[in-house]
Amino acid sequence: MLFMINKTPTQYGNLASALRIAAKGQPILLYEDGVYAAMSGAQSEALLQAALADHPVYALEADLEARGLTRLVPGVQVIGYDGFVELVEQHNVAPWI
Amino acid sequence: MKKVAIVMRKAPYGSVYSAEGYRSIMGLGVFEMDVAVAFVDDGVYVLLKGQNPAKLDMKPLGDGFPMLSDFDVKQFYVHAESLAERGLTADDLVMGVEVLDSAGISAALAGCDVVLPF
Repeated sequence: MLFMINKTPTQYGNLASALRIAAKGQPILLYEDGVYAAMSGAQSEALLQAALADHPVYALEADLEARGLTRLVPGVQVIGYDGFVELVEQHNVAPWI
Repeated sequence: MKKVAIVMRKAPYGSVYSAEGYRSIMGLGVFEMDVAVAFVDDGVYVLLKGQNPAKLDMKPLGDGFPMLSDFDVKQFYVHAESLAERGLTADDLVMGVEVLDSAGISAALAGCDVVLPF
């Protein structure tokens, strides 16, 4: 199951909620405003570190670029739309919007 | 004439709020109204440098804000705690702004007759 997060971790609880539900090893995809969770130095970094301890974490490149996000937490895997399609082909999807 | 505060609390691109807020600020400026803009919570992301939404087929939003001074909109306030929570400083922003603590934002809003949320 691929958990898809599209809201900021600072103003919404989507990522925290998904992390309670997602089983160890299931991938997390940050897209749209969800990519703000990949920023290093933010208070939400602890949440992302917790995610990385148990899950592969992906962030969509187009959404990072759009928002000017360059300082990313190490371990987050930046993917393009082709990688996005691959993930969706490989997993059932749980959109945690 | 009434003084208007625009409060930006949403991140850009994920919704239309920030873009519509920008349009409202420009409109108020065109009509020479007294307008203050406050960036609070995720709204501080609107001013982040280096935005390039070409792959989303959208226009960069942050770049537009420095141009608002051409419409005589010059009161820009950014909430210090919201910046700090996101690991950001004033140097990460597209323009020079007044960084205020919570009491400062509160006082700036208290000086306005109307608060419009975006």
